[in-house]
Amino acid sequence: MRAVRFHGRGGQGAKTASRILGTAAFLEGFVAQDSPIYGAERRGAPVAAFTRIDTLPIKQRGAIVHPDLVVVADASLVQDPAARVLEGIDERTAVFVNSPLIAEQFQAKTSLPGRLTTLDLTDIALQQFGKRGAISALLGAVAGRLVGLQRESIREAIARELADLGLAAAVIERNQTTALQCYDAVPAVPLETGSPRPIVPVLLRTPTYEPPTRGTAGITAGPNSAIRSVAGWRTFRPVLRPDLCNGCWLCFANCPEGAIAIKPDGKPAIYYPHCKGCLDCVEVCPTDALTVERETEAAREA
Amino acid sequence: MNQTNQMMTGNLAAAWGARLADVDYVPAFPITPQTEIVETLSKWCGTGALNARFVTMDSEHSMMTAAGAAAATGARVFTATSSQGLLHAFEVLYTVAGWRVPLVLVNVSRALASPITLEPDHNDVLAARDSGFLQIHAETCQEIVDSILMAYRIAEDPRVCLPVMVNLDGFYLSFTREPVILPDPRMVQAFLPAYRPTHLGFKASSPRALGTAVLGGATYSYFRHQNHLASMNALLVHEEAAVDFERLCGRRYDLVEGYRLDDAEDVLIMTNAFASKGKAAVDVARAEGKRVGLLRLRVIRPWPADAIRHALQGRRAVAVLDQNLSPGQGGILFQEIAASLYHEALRPRALCSFIGGLGGKNLSEGEFRAIFEQTAEAGVRGKGIGPVLLYTEMEYREMEQLQYLAHDLKTGK
Repeated sequence: MRAVRFHGRGGQGAKTASRILGTAAFLEGFVAQDSPIYGAERRGAPVAAFTRIDTLPIKQRGAIVHPDLVVVADASLVQDPAARVLEGIDERTAVFVNSPLIAEQFQAKTSLPGRLTTLDLTDIALQQFGKRGAISALLGAVAGRLVGLQRESIREAIARELADLGLAAAVIERNQTTALQCYDAVPAVPLETGSPRPIVPVLLRTPTYEPPTRGTAGITAGPNSAIRSVAGWRTFRPVLRPDLCNGCWLCFANCPEGAIAIKPDGKPAIYYPHCKGCLDCVEVCPTDALTVERETEAAREA
Repeated sequence: MNQTNQMMTGNLAAAWGARLADVDYVPAFPITPQTEIVETLSKWCGTGALNARFVTMDSEHSMMTAAGAAAATGARVFTATSSQGLLHAFEVLYTVAGWRVPLVLVNVSRALASPITLEPDHNDVLAARDSGFLQIHAETCQEIVDSILMAYRIAEDPRVCLPVMVNLDGFYLSFTREPVILPDPRMVQAFLPAYRPTHLGFKASSPRALGTAVLGGATYSYFRHQNHLASMNALLVHEEAAVDFERLCGRRYDLVEGYRLDDAEDVLIMTNAFASKGKAAVDVARAEGKRVGLLRLRVIRPWPADAIRHALQGRRAVAVLDQNLSPGQGGILFQEIAASLYHEALRPRALCSFIGGLGGKNLSEGEFRAIFEQTAEAGVRGKGIGPVLLYTEMEYREMEQLQYLAHDLKTGK
C-alpha cells in the first residue's frame, strides 16, 4: 500500500492532484482510491486529500493517519496547526513541499521530520502559465514520481482529470509538458516498505454527564472574527495603486470578507489581516488599479 | 458482455445506477453531500445522455411527493437526498410506501442536527426504517451501482411493489473515488426489463384515488399488514435477483455478507463503508491468531433475521458496532440483533454493544483492537457489555480544548 496525503489551500488543486495520482495508478493496473476532506469550503482555507495505491483491494477509507508520502502545496501550511500537516509524519515519511527553499534550508527552518524534497512549483507555474494557481497537474506529477509511477500514465491522468474540469486542449497540453518537467526535476525517493507500524492500543475514555453549559454545543465567547487573522491563507495578495483607482467601490462591494474599507477620500483600503487572498477584488476592478503580488513571509507579517 | 472499469466517486456511481436503470423521471433537491448526484443527472438529462424528465423541486417534501406521484403513473423514478433532507421528506416516505410505488431513493448518510456536521452516521437512514421503504446499505462505490439496479428489480416485482432506499455514506463513499465496473447496458436490460406495472397506471383519462381513508381500523390493519408481507417477500425476491445479477455480471450480493466467518469464535457486526475498515481489522487480528470474523448487514429492511441467526449460531461472542445512537437506549441495530437471537438455543454467550463513527469520527485500528479484546473477554465471562461509546482519551482532550475556546474565557462559563 502507498498512502499519499495532500495538503493545500482551497483553490490550489490538492483534490485534483490526488485524483491525478489516483487515475495514474489506476491506469497502471493498481487498485486506487482517492478522496478529499472538505466541508465549509472557503478559498484559502486548509484542505486535505488522500490517495491510496495498492495491488490488492483497499480496505481503508477516509483520512490517512500514517502517510508514506505527504505533498504540501503551500509551505505556509506547515506552520498552521489547523492544517495538521505534521500528523503521523516520522523520519521515514517522504515529504514534498512546494517552496523556493532547498530541502536542507526548509528543514532547518521548520524542523519538519521526514525525508524532504522541495521544488518551487508556484514559480514554475507563474513562468509557464503567467498566472497564479494552476499547480494541480504539477503536484500530481511530482507525487507520481515520488511514489514511482510512470511518466506516461501521469501524462494520461492529467489529460483525463483536467478535461473533466473543462479545460481547453491547449491548456491541458501545456500542463502536461510543465508537469512532466517537474516530474523529471524531482529525484525518486524510494518509499519505506519496512514492517507496518505497530497498532497502539487506544485508551478509551467515555465522557460522563456534564451540565448543559458544557454538554450542549454552543459558543459563549465573544465574537473573535475581528482578532482572527487569515493572512496565512494567502498565496497572492491584491495591491492597490491609488492613482489608477476611480473610486467605483466594486472591490469593496465584492470582497467576501469585508476586508476592504472606504477611506474618507472615497478610495478603498485593504485590511490585510482579514484578506484571505481570493483576489475577487482584482477580478472586478475595471481600471486595473488592483494588481496581484506573490505573498512572501515578510509581506505576510506586514 | 463488456463491462467498463473506471475511477468513480460514490455519488457518480449512484448517478450511473439511475442512468443504467434508464429512469424516466428525476425530481431533485440538492443537499450536501448528495449534490453531485443530482447535478450529474441534471447534466445528463440536458445533454440527452439520459432520456428522463428532470425537475428541480422547492423542497424534499415536494420532491418525494412528486416522486411517488410519478411512480404511480407507471414511470420509473429515481431521486436522492441526505440527512435533514430525508427528515424533511419524512411524512411522504410513509405515504408513498402505502401507495406501494416501486421507486428508488438514494440516501447519502450524513449525521443529523444538532449540532451540525456534514459527515456521516446512520441516524438519518435508520430513522426511516419503519417507513415501509426497503433499505440496502452499500459498502463500496461498486455496490452502489449494482444495488440500485437490484433495487429496481426488487421494488418492481409484483410480490413486493415497495419503494427502496439505497444508502451510501457521505464522504467515505460520496466523494471517494475507487474503481467501479459499469455493467453493459444490454446486460442491465436483460436483468431489469422495462417497467410494466399491473396495479398502477395513474393518468388523466382514468382517474383513481390512492391512499384513501379507511376508518375503523380493520381495513387499515389489513393494508398495513399487506405492507409488512410485501416487505418480507423481498427476502426471497432479493435472493432471486442476486442469483440473476451474479449470472449476468459475476458479482454476488446477499442480504448479509460474511467475512472470514468460517471458524470465527467472535463476530463483529457492521454495516456500510466502515465495514471495509472492519474487514482490515479482522485481517490484522487473524494474523495474530485470533479467531474473529465480520458480518455485514447489507439489507436492513426487510430484516434478514434467518440469515443473521444462521451466521451467529454457536459463536462465543458477538459485538454490534452501531454507527448511530438512539438516545436513552443505545445502538439501534444492537437491539434488533438481540431480539433476533433471543429464542435461539445456540445463541452466542455474550452480546456486546459499541457505538462508533458518529458524525464520521474515524475508527482507528486501535479502537478495533479494543473492540475485539473487550468482546473476547465478554465471551469468556458469558456476560455482554455496553453500550460502549468509542471515544479516546486524546479525542476527549481535543474536545476540551475546543470547549475552552468556545466559552467565555473570562468568566469560565
